[in-house]
Amino acid sequence: MELKLALRNVFRNRRRTVFSLTVIAVGTAVFLFVLAYVGESLLSQRLSSACETGAVQIADERLFANQTNGYDALIPADVQSRVVDLVSKQPGVLGTSLELDFAGLIGDANGSTLIIGRGLTPCDCVPNYECYAIEGKTLADASPREGILGKRLAAKLGVGTGDSINIATGTVSGNFTAATVTVVGELAYSLGTVEEQLGLFPVAFVQRLLKTDGVERILVGLDDLNKAPQLADSLRTAFAAEGIPLGVRTWQELSTGYASSQSFFAAFSGLAGISVFALVFFSVVEILTISFLERTREVATTRAFGASRWRVFRGFLLEGAMIGAIGAVIGVILASGLVTVFNAARITWTPPGSAVPQAIHLSLTLSTALMPLVTVVLATLASSVYPAWKNARLSVVKALQTA
Amino acid sequence: MGFGSRFCHVRGAKFLDAQRLTKTYRVGSETVYALRDVNFVALQGDFVVINGPSGSGKTTFLNLMSVIDRPTSGEVFIESQPTSTQSEGQLAYLRKTKIGLVFQSFNLIPVLSAAENVEYPLLLQRRPKPERQERVAALLAEVGLSDLARRRPNELSGGQRQRVAIARALVSGPMIVLADEPTANLDSKTGEAVMDLMRRLNEEHCVTFIVVTHDPAVSRYAGRRVRIHDGRLEEGEGNGVAASAS
Repeated sequence: MELKLALRNVFRNRRRTVFSLTVIAVGTAVFLFVLAYVGESLLSQRLSSACETGAVQIADERLFANQTNGYDALIPADVQSRVVDLVSKQPGVLGTSLELDFAGLIGDANGSTLIIGRGLTPCDCVPNYECYAIEGKTLADASPREGILGKRLAAKLGVGTGDSINIATGTVSGNFTAATVTVVGELAYSLGTVEEQLGLFPVAFVQRLLKTDGVERILVGLDDLNKAPQLADSLRTAFAAEGIPLGVRTWQELSTGYASSQSFFAAFSGLAGISVFALVFFSVVEILTISFLERTREVATTRAFGASRWRVFRGFLLEGAMIGAIGAVIGVILASGLVTVFNAARITWTPPGSAVPQAIHLSLTLSTALMPLVTVVLATLASSVYPAWKNARLSVVKALQTA
Repeated sequence: MGFGSRFCHVRGAKFLDAQRLTKTYRVGSETVYALRDVNFVALQGDFVVINGPSGSGKTTFLNLMSVIDRPTSGEVFIESQPTSTQSEGQLAYLRKTKIGLVFQSFNLIPVLSAAENVEYPLLLQRRPKPERQERVAALLAEVGLSDLARRRPNELSGGQRQRVAIARALVSGPMIVLADEPTANLDSKTGEAVMDLMRRLNEEHCVTFIVVTHDPAVSRYAGRRVRIHDGRLEEGEGNGVAASAS
C-alpha cells in the first residue's frame, strides 16, 4: 500500500504534479538529446579516425616517432607478407591494407602544384574509404595507372574524370621519377586544405613510381574497434616472438584529436548533467516542500497511529522518487520523439575546417537513457530529502493542533 | 467475524494510570498550566466521558493519555509500565498496538478509500494481507459501512467518516480508544449514532473508551463521567473509579 499511497499522493494536486513532471521530463529529454548528440559525434569521429588509420596500424617505430629520413623506414616485401600472414590469423580481423605515401608535384604543361599522394592497397575493408567520399571510380576499381584526386586539387589543376596528368617526385634512392595517371574519380575530404593536395592511388603504382617494393604502413581492419587494444597486444607479442622489428599502434593512440574530443564531450555531458540536476532540484524542491508541508495533519495522524519517523520519511522519499521516475520516463519518450523528428529532418552540418557536410543522425540506446534517468531521479530524490525530513520530525501534537 | 471480545476476560483490570500529571506551556515569559497535578485511572471496559469547556485542558489530557505528548511532570503508566522513560520508538509501538485514536475532524487520509483507511494501522503492524482484508471487512460491517468500503472520504458524509475513523481506531485491536470531540463536527442525530456505536463496541468488546467532549449531550453515554476545568479533573457520577482532583 505504501507504493499505492505514494502514487496517489503524487497525483493529488494535478497542477503541481504536471509542473513538476514537465520540468523533469524536459530536463531528461534535453539531457538525453545532448548525450545522443555527443554519442553520435564520438562514434562518427571514431569511425572517421579508424577509416584513415585502420583499427590497428603497423609500421617502423621511427615512423611513429617522426624520426624517419626519407624512405628509410619502409617495411620490406618479405616482412610485409609475414606480417599480413600473422595478422590474418588474429580473431576479428577483416583484412589489411598496405600504405605508401609520397610528396611531389602534379600538373601538365599549363602548370603544376604540390600533391600528397597516398598509395593504398585497394580493399573494401581497411580503410573502407568512406572517409574520402569518393565520386567516380573507387580505388578498388582503379587500374595501376589511374588515380583519384581531391576535388579542390582537381579544380585547381582544371582537370576532371578521364583527363591524364603528370606526377613527378623522387624515388626512395633520391632520383627524379615521373609518371602519367588518368583521373578516374574525385574525393571530398573533411579538411579543405588536405583536399587541395590529396591524391589516392593503388599502392602498386606508387611503389613503381618510387622504385621500391616496400610500404610505410600496414593498416588492419577489425570487425569491432573496441578489440583494437587486444589485437595490438597480441601482435606485439607475436612480433617479438617472430623477431619482426615493427611497432603497433591502435587507432586511439594515433588519433590524439579523438582523445581530446572525448575529454571535451565528457566535460560537456557532465556540465549538462549538473545543469539538469540543478534545474530539476531547484524546481521540484519548492513544490515538494509545499506539497509535503500541507499534509502535516496526515503525517501527525499516521504518527499518532504509531508510524515511525523513518516510515514517514521513507514515504515522502518514495513519493519524490516516483515523481522523478515518472517524469524521467516521460522525458525518455519525449526525447525519442524528438530524435525521430530530428533524424527525419536529415539535418546536415559542415564542421569547422571541413569541406564535407555531415548528416547528423542521432540514436538513443538504453545505456544512453540510463544516465539522464538516474540523474533526474536522484535530483528529485535529493529535493525531497529536506521536506521529508522536516515532516518526519514534526511535533505530532502541534501538527494535530494546526489542522 | 469481528475483532472479538478479547478484553472482556480482563474487564475491570487497571490499564491506564496517570499520576500527578502536570503540563505547562511557556507563553512569552509566563508559564501556562494546561493540566495541574492530575490523577486518573482507566479500567478495562470503562466508558469514560470527560467534559469541559474549551481551553480547559481536555485535548492536552488526551494527548498525554495517548502518549503522543509527554507531561511536564508526573507519570503515565500503561499496564503498570511507566512511559516517561520510554523512547519515541517505544511510545510509537505502544500507540500502534494498544491505543486507538478518534479525532474531531476524522483525520482520514483523503487519497485512501474507507477500507484502505481502516487497513492502514494494520499495515503499520505488518499484518499479512489476508488477515488485513478479513479484519477490515469485519470492522466495516460492524460500523455498517460494508457497502461504502471503496469510497474516498470526500464521498462520505460526516457521520460515515467518523464511523470509518472509529473502525480504523479499533482495527488493530487496541485495549483503549481515545476520542477527541468525536461528535463536534456532526449534527446531533449523527452524533448520537456515532456515540451509540462507540457504546455498543465498548459493551460488546470491552475496549476502554475515553471520550473527551464539550457537548453535554454526550455525557449520557458515560459509564463514568469526569469533568475537567482549568486543568483539574473532578470525578462525576458513574462507577466512580479513581479519578480525582489533586
